[in-house]
Amino acid sequence: MGKENEKVTSALQNSDMEKASMYQVAEAVLFSFIGIRKKSDLEHDAAKIKPVQIIIGGLVGGVIFILSILSVVKLVTG
Amino acid sequence: MAVIQDVHGHGHDHPTGIMRWLTTTNHKDIGTLYLCFSLVMLFVGGFLAMGIRAELFMPGIQILEPEVFNSFTTLHGLIMVFGAVMPAWVGFANWQVPLMIGAPDMAFARLNNWSFWLLPVAALLLITSFFVPGGAAAGGWTFYPPLSTQGGMGTDMMLFAVHILGMSSIMGSINIITTILNMRAPGMTLMKMPMFVWTWLITAYLLVLVMPVLAGAVTMVLTDRNFGTSFFNAAGGGDPVMFQHIFWFFGHPEVYIMILPAFGVVSEIIPTFSRKPLFGYSSMVYATASIALLSCFVWAHHMFTAGMPVAGQLFFMYATMLIAVPTGVKVFNWTATMWRGSMTFEVPMLFSIGFIFLFVIGGFSGVVCAIVPVDIQVQDTYYVIAHFHYVLVSGALFALFAGAYYWLPKWTGHMYDESLGKWHFWLSMVFFNVAFFVQHFLGLAGMPRRIPDYALQFADFNMISSIGAFGFGLTQLLFVYIVIKCVRGGEKAADKTWEGATTLEWTHLPSPAPYHSFETPPVVK
Ligand SMILES: [Cu+2]
Repeated sequence: MGKENEKVTSALQNSDMEKASMYQVAEAVLFSFIGIRKKSDLEHDAAKIKPVQIIIGGLVGGVIFILSILSVVKLVTG
Repeated sequence: MAVIQDVHGHGHDHPTGIMRWLTTTNHKDIGTLYLCFSLVMLFVGGFLAMGIRAELFMPGIQILEPEVFNSFTTLHGLIMVFGAVMPAWVGFANWQVPLMIGAPDMAFARLNNWSFWLLPVAALLLITSFFVPGGAAAGGWTFYPPLSTQGGMGTDMMLFAVHILGMSSIMGSINIITTILNMRAPGMTLMKMPMFVWTWLITAYLLVLVMPVLAGAVTMVLTDRNFGTSFFNAAGGGDPVMFQHIFWFFGHPEVYIMILPAFGVVSEIIPTFSRKPLFGYSSMVYATASIALLSCFVWAHHMFTAGMPVAGQLFFMYATMLIAVPTGVKVFNWTATMWRGSMTFEVPMLFSIGFIFLFVIGGFSGVVCAIVPVDIQVQDTYYVIAHFHYVLVSGALFALFAGAYYWLPKWTGHMYDESLGKWHFWLSMVFFNVAFFVQHFLGLAGMPRRIPDYALQFADFNMISSIGAFGFGLTQLLFVYIVIKCVRGGEKAADKTWEGATTLEWTHLPSPAPYHSFETPPVVK
């Protein structure tokens, strides 16, 4: 069990070394809003993107989502 | 393959009889307690529903005084949401999360015990409030002020009960989050977790986010009632509409708290009985996360008639309609999973397919309600009642039944009675639709909710609806009989009861699952 754990954590650390770019995070968040993602892309995401990145990306995505609906509303009512 | 484990032969002693259940820290015991509690509450809430439908069987007032009728609708909603559906899902999480991720137990075993034993206290407060002077709370399950700032001590008891139930939910979710994030078997990465575990992880985060908001709303109503504050009292400078905003910021995500674990259960059952892996597992995870996030931006669609600028109405209308996108992705994925699978139709599968069929109807009527001009027509009518019963009865409750039939063999070691189960499904399916489909017509024709009497033109549909409701209620007694029969005996269940099952509880554990499982974690490849 110990060995397995070590393997898992070392794998995690390795993947942490190369950080995902902002573009990759934005892409992952965008796809999550629609709910579709290719499996290979997802595995790529899972390996590269850190949880902190995805949480911040999700919150920023949420804000952009709200702002874009608001601008549509402005357009319609204005 | 099955790692046979010590079936409780080892020598630590723990209490037996009632003390076993009072002091237990075992996730299986606590799961059983949760499930039994929620079943009892399902029948308490069901009894209130039968009272409502009996009064509405004919025009005029025959059985319940109007004040009592109001208490019945209020407590029916509160008990079903907080007493039946939510504890049932926590019960499933207690049993299944450790088994599915290969953990020996929940992370906080004593907290787990405390989370459960708060529930009967709250239930007692709710039920006994019927017998105090002034009767039980009668302002609707949403307890809007000023109705909830009036009323007798029954309302205070209800508010206190909601506090306790909220506390229990928060502790339960912290426990579930910690268990999932820290106690997975080696090799079980997040993206290898079963869908049921994923949906519960996201649900637990939603609970931690919105339950404190509900607690805030309840506390403000409590101090408005008892300590002279004026949060929601216009005469004192407060604003009753603010309550609605706070309540629904909790209330809408609450719908997803009740339905996301249902998505998880169905996502386990459909692949098993289609003998194919879940189509688009990763998009399911993404769709669940985005449904959870979006559900926090749509609350005011419950308040279109409360007075809101047009810009606000449009914002919440658009946002609400957009939730249909990730939900549609899920329905597509379930259908695609069944496509060209070698399907069989055991009872769990029947309830899952029934779930998809009826949940889609509820989803569509939800989009209808999201359209502002339509909603202004159907607000507070039976159309809304029909809509959310399609979401919560044929959504959450059918998925609960599906999950119960699916895992009963693992829990008890016995097969349930397949033909009785099929009877249970078909009777539920028919009576549910008889009871609730006609309510769409009643609502469109303008019949208001929460009223004990109605105009004569509504008489026929109400009688049909009541007959359906009585049938549906009686049918659930059959479920109790099936469960008791299954617990007490029956054909021995195989370790891997379902041919197509792939999760750890089927591949690594005997049936029934031993009292202590996965003391040595399995290795997931
Ligand atoms: Cu809502």
